[in-house]
Amino acid sequence: MKPWQEIMSLKSTKAIILIVVGLLFLGLPLFASQYVSYLMLTFFAYAIMVLGLNLLLGYTGLLSFGHAFFMAIGAYTAAFLTGKFSILYMEVILVVAVIISSLLAALIGLVCVRYIKIYFAMLTLAFGMLFYSFLLKFYYLTGGDEGMRVLRPYLLGFNLSEIPKMQFLTGNYYLYCFFVFALLVFVMWKIVSSPFGLCLKAIRDNPEKAEYLGISVKRYRWYAFIISGAYAAIGGALLAPAIGQVDPGLTYWTHSGTLVFMTLLGGFENFFGPLIGGVVYIFLQDKVMSLTTYWRFIFGAILAFLVIVAPGGIAGVISSLVKKEKRGE
Amino acid sequence: MAILSASDLRKYYGEFCALDGVSFQINEGEFVSIIGPNGAGKTTLINVLTGLLTPNTGKVFYKDREITGIGPEKLSRLGVARSFQLVNIFPNFTVLEFLMVAVVSRLGKGTNFYSSLLRDQEVNREALEVAKLFRLDDKKDVLTKNLPQGDKKMLDVASAFALHPEVILLDEPTSGVSTSDKNKIMETLVSASKKIGIKSIIQVEHDMDIVFSFSDRIIALHQGKILSDSTPAEIEKNEEVVCTVVGQKECFKIFSTLMNREH
Amino acid sequence: METIVSILFSGVFNASTLFLVAAGLQVVFGVQKVFNLACGSFYALGAYFGIVVVKSFVAGGFSKPLFILPLIGAGLLLGVIGPIVERGLIKFVYDRDETFQLLLTFAIVMMIEDVIKFIWGTSPQTTGGIDLIYGRLNLFGATLPVYNLVVILCSLIIAALIGYILLNTKFGRIIRATADKKEMGEALGINMKKVYIKVFTLGTVLGTLGGALVIPATAVVSEMGVELIVLAFAVVVIGGLGSMKGAFIGALIVGVLKSVAIFTYPELEMLTIYIIVIAVLVIKPQGLFGGSKV
Repeated sequence: MKPWQEIMSLKSTKAIILIVVGLLFLGLPLFASQYVSYLMLTFFAYAIMVLGLNLLLGYTGLLSFGHAFFMAIGAYTAAFLTGKFSILYMEVILVVAVIISSLLAALIGLVCVRYIKIYFAMLTLAFGMLFYSFLLKFYYLTGGDEGMRVLRPYLLGFNLSEIPKMQFLTGNYYLYCFFVFALLVFVMWKIVSSPFGLCLKAIRDNPEKAEYLGISVKRYRWYAFIISGAYAAIGGALLAPAIGQVDPGLTYWTHSGTLVFMTLLGGFENFFGPLIGGVVYIFLQDKVMSLTTYWRFIFGAILAFLVIVAPGGIAGVISSLVKKEKRGE
Repeated sequence: MAILSASDLRKYYGEFCALDGVSFQINEGEFVSIIGPNGAGKTTLINVLTGLLTPNTGKVFYKDREITGIGPEKLSRLGVARSFQLVNIFPNFTVLEFLMVAVVSRLGKGTNFYSSLLRDQEVNREALEVAKLFRLDDKKDVLTKNLPQGDKKMLDVASAFALHPEVILLDEPTSGVSTSDKNKIMETLVSASKKIGIKSIIQVEHDMDIVFSFSDRIIALHQGKILSDSTPAEIEKNEEVVCTVVGQKECFKIFSTLMNREH
Repeated sequence: METIVSILFSGVFNASTLFLVAAGLQVVFGVQKVFNLACGSFYALGAYFGIVVVKSFVAGGFSKPLFILPLIGAGLLLGVIGPIVERGLIKFVYDRDETFQLLLTFAIVMMIEDVIKFIWGTSPQTTGGIDLIYGRLNLFGATLPVYNLVVILCSLIIAALIGYILLNTKFGRIIRATADKKEMGEALGINMKKVYIKVFTLGTVLGTLGGALVIPATAVVSEMGVELIVLAFAVVVIGGLGSMKGAFIGALIVGVLKSVAIFTYPELEMLTIYIIVIAVLVIKPQGLFGGSKV
């Protein structure tokens, strides 16, 4: 085995890489431009959403086209609490977002997880679009297609409204989001390495056999759905103050498609894949959007390419390179 | 004491009758083989007994509890497990992980979101023990999809055993295995059952040598009906009667090995 | 009374175009087991292309009432994208998990969306009211556009044609056999590759034709493809996955429901339809005519 492969496969190497990356993320605002730091801030929020989606897709084998629905729930929670009820404590916003999304996920999940995968994908899509039409039509409540403003929340109880916007976003708020992100990555890692995680993978690989081993496929899919919904809501609640504005487009099905794209791009058979996909997508989209308004076509083509040629995503390509070399000698 | 019983099971696929009034009783401690030509309804019977299919009429009882059509998940929890004729596996799991699924399920740890599976000594230990019983422990870290066919089959069976069921239904456990290995596999199964405490084994099997060597009772199925339900010795005696009822051609198919043994 | 007639009529009109798209969805799913999310996009393409053709027809000075002929022609012609998409993309995922098939058709949706944007821009378009040329008719006090009636008739004819093909032709028998058991087709020595291309093209044409036919009566908006797939799925659930009869009856039910909802509670239009969808899923998940387990 070539020396770099040997090093790559050590557990401690992986830990070191994680720590280095973590430190890079943490210190990014110190050496990167404000714009790049802002993009990274959105990455933290999207990363959380995509971790939740991958619990469903990569670990339980369920494709949801309605994940953005829960993200929008979180975002609109932030808008409502800060804008209409003047509740500005970020922690309260996060907790309320989790509670509402979990309740909704529990209800919607009861319907969606009982049927074949195609129905699951379509039902989640439909629920997302139902919410979209609700947000549009009940405009006196939700601001319709103009959306709602999101006010700057208090972080850990501190009122930071005096700080200029970009400084807040790339300073205090950036750190806050980073830590929530890091914490949620850790929690998700625990979940997928637990006995529950093993059962989810069993359900993904062979639901019939899993049933025969006494695992209630419907119930476990339901649990995964609820957890993923809560994650998406947290991501949405964190994203909202960064954008300052929420609108119905957040729950449009193509936004769910974007989340799926990120997950696939990075590789959904891998824990960190979606995170890689998230960061690549955000910066790639930024680049492509500045070049052409037809970015959807390009991303559609990339998605088609991924599905046909490289379904394992970026992480899949990397790991097969490592394995190929290993087998080669 | 009857541990599993079926009462007047009928199952139709459109107009085709797969099971036509099947009734029998399995007692604790019995090793029962179900035999019959292809299309006799054996797999349908297993599917109905294990709750995967609901019969059109008739009932299935586990001890004194009706279990008709309750579905495989609930059935496993009650104590009835099954293995598959066509190997039913988790291709991307290692042997150990595969067995851990069954152990986790049995120990009720499936909803444990927070603790690390790798460090759970109880689960690891129990899974390893089952692997040892089936001589798969040296391959515990091999991915299931990379195992040879025979080992995949064993693993499928082993995972059912790992549930510590009271009754186990094996659908052609030695199919696809070379004749010389069949006996070894059956011995492994029987000794594993004793160690785990399985009370009754029901198997669907084509190899008559195996059937006659290991069974306490043989149920012969033909065109959805039970042709005979008796001990190996009794079948040998009644072979003539059976052949008269069924006709020489069918009889030859069903009892071909038996005839070969005799002559 | 006249409102009831109005509502029923517009409901049946909705149903006719919805049926075409749903039928396209069902036949492709029945044979290839691929749920084509892009069916709505084909519908949108048919609509946009239909406008172009009608406008050129009129500008070319041809007799206006004949516009429906080039319109149908446009819908049929656009079906040429069927084999292109099938051979170029879909065929690669026949053996893969449904997840990947859905993702691929979703990628197609994204691409078609931008193709439409590139060619036609984002503002709504219409045929400029050319459907009014057929006038209106008076039924029980309600004024109904004759064009819509023509569309309904067209759909009925197509439904009858599909029924005939399925029951009486070799192609139809192949479709029904493979819908039942995928391996049967190959086992019988049929060239499945050709069948797949033909079936997918049929599905595509039904979609583009539906879009073309509907366009004189409404405006085309860029989201119409998406909204349609949501409705088409409702039809599939209610009617039953893989069933033509289900597409027909399901489309009727959804079409009329939509009409009723728009009239009574327009904000809850989608919600009403989906409450019924959920009810069907709970009571009879296979839908009215579906056979397979869902």
